[in-house]
Amino acid sequence: MVNAINEKNSAGSTKTKQLVIDSDVHSYFNSIEELVPYCDESLQKRLNIGPFKKKSFNGKVVSSGEFRFPECRYINPGSVLRLDAFSPNGSIPGADPEFVAKDLFDRSNTVYGVLNSANATMGAFHNVEIANEFNSVYNNWQYENWIEKDARYKMSMLVTPLDPVAAVKEIERIGKKPGVVAINLQTTSIPLGKRHFYPIYEIAEAYGLPILMHPDSESSGENGPAQAVGPASTYMEWHACLGLIAQRNIASLVCEGVFERFPKLKFVFAEYGMAWLPGLMWRLDKNWKALRDEVPWLKNRPSEYIRRNVRLGTQPIEEPFRSKDLLEVIQMAGAEDMLLYSSDYPHWDGDEADRVFNSLPKDLKNKIFYENALNTYNFNR
Amino acid sequence: MGELKSVTLCSAEDLQPGERQLVKVDGSEIAIFNINGQLYAVRNKCPHQGVSMVYGSIDGTMLPSDPHTYQYGKHNEILRCPLHGWGFDIKTGESLFDAEKCKIKTYDIRQEGDSIVLYLNKEPKIVSLIETNACFVS
Repeated sequence: MVNAINEKNSAGSTKTKQLVIDSDVHSYFNSIEELVPYCDESLQKRLNIGPFKKKSFNGKVVSSGEFRFPECRYINPGSVLRLDAFSPNGSIPGADPEFVAKDLFDRSNTVYGVLNSANATMGAFHNVEIANEFNSVYNNWQYENWIEKDARYKMSMLVTPLDPVAAVKEIERIGKKPGVVAINLQTTSIPLGKRHFYPIYEIAEAYGLPILMHPDSESSGENGPAQAVGPASTYMEWHACLGLIAQRNIASLVCEGVFERFPKLKFVFAEYGMAWLPGLMWRLDKNWKALRDEVPWLKNRPSEYIRRNVRLGTQPIEEPFRSKDLLEVIQMAGAEDMLLYSSDYPHWDGDEADRVFNSLPKDLKNKIFYENALNTYNFNR
Repeated sequence: MGELKSVTLCSAEDLQPGERQLVKVDGSEIAIFNINGQLYAVRNKCPHQGVSMVYGSIDGTMLPSDPHTYQYGKHNEILRCPLHGWGFDIKTGESLFDAEKCKIKTYDIRQEGDSIVLYLNKEPKIVSLIETNACFVS
């Protein structure tokens, strides 16, 4: 394994190690059957798992008889999981907590990694009852199998964005448990600034839990649309345009006054990119000067709320034609305190900690890799 | 700053309530307004992109409020750029969004007898009224 961060110099002493907090790690299960022990019988029945598992006519038919998550409708021509991350015990990439800790955390000098479900989310499932129960089951499974296995694992807990009442109950149930550091709220077609979400925001602020947004199955199920002008044809097009979702939601959050109502609430947008940030800030600020009568509750420029309340996961980091331009983009947005390093392990589009920000000055790297995350999540709960 | 120099611009009849005029003082244009008998004068150039302020609407603004509530105020005290709508307090010239850094210059203007008199820092060489297109106050 490449290990530039921890390598020893010729004198034999260890170089200063950059501490890393990873805001986006994905825990997989080898099969949804791993959830069976956590589900009551009625949920097993409704998911067609466990004793109720359907066999797809011995694999000959792809049917709605088997349980399927709301899923990305685009087909990645490669692999969505990195193929250098299979566990020695045969687990698929991301499914063996012991191996992930070794392969990712030990190698990258990672102090904490935030687990965000990205292959198993039901926020956008049409049946809200099933979604609620699934979320509790998944939270329990992840807590027992990951959080309790290695203190470096932290997690964003799943809640159902379509059911704020149930979401609040779930947060009350486990939101203060050590290791739960964020609330994973999937996108729907309801913009995040709308009052629909305020009960969730209220308890999130009170508990000191940031809301974490991560792309999953946009344009499928109840998930928000991924594109402004209509569905893409390809995975490439879909993936490249995911940043639009973050931009639209950040505009909604700012303009609806969410950060005036909940000044301590933070939003982490992971995996939506960041190079669009200066343009969004400039555009909102410019419009605010002319159209501020629509939003008289905004006492400051929109960009100031964004800087104070929004955090962006860095992965997949944009790679400018001239690598040094990345620093310019960060400076243009004043985003030095907003960026959170994310590996996205074990996904195909991840960023390696020892390579991704080598063009940035050391103090900024330390912010992105470490300090900014410490100021965003409460790891000592 | 020395004593202000007074310049008679026009007769009061030429600037009645609801009316506005554009004046050229040496190289600079100044827009003058009579709003319900109260006179105002501002530099005729929006600090943003230089648009002529004499064509701007005059209204009020939504005062700072709690989220999802509105309170209208400062009626007839806000002059808006006719292009982007940036609002300026017509009395102070301060913009609504950055009172400190973004301002439009204001001048002292009074009615003295039957004349409209403008006060400037220095004696102007040439003062003239400029014809404007019809101004519609929205």
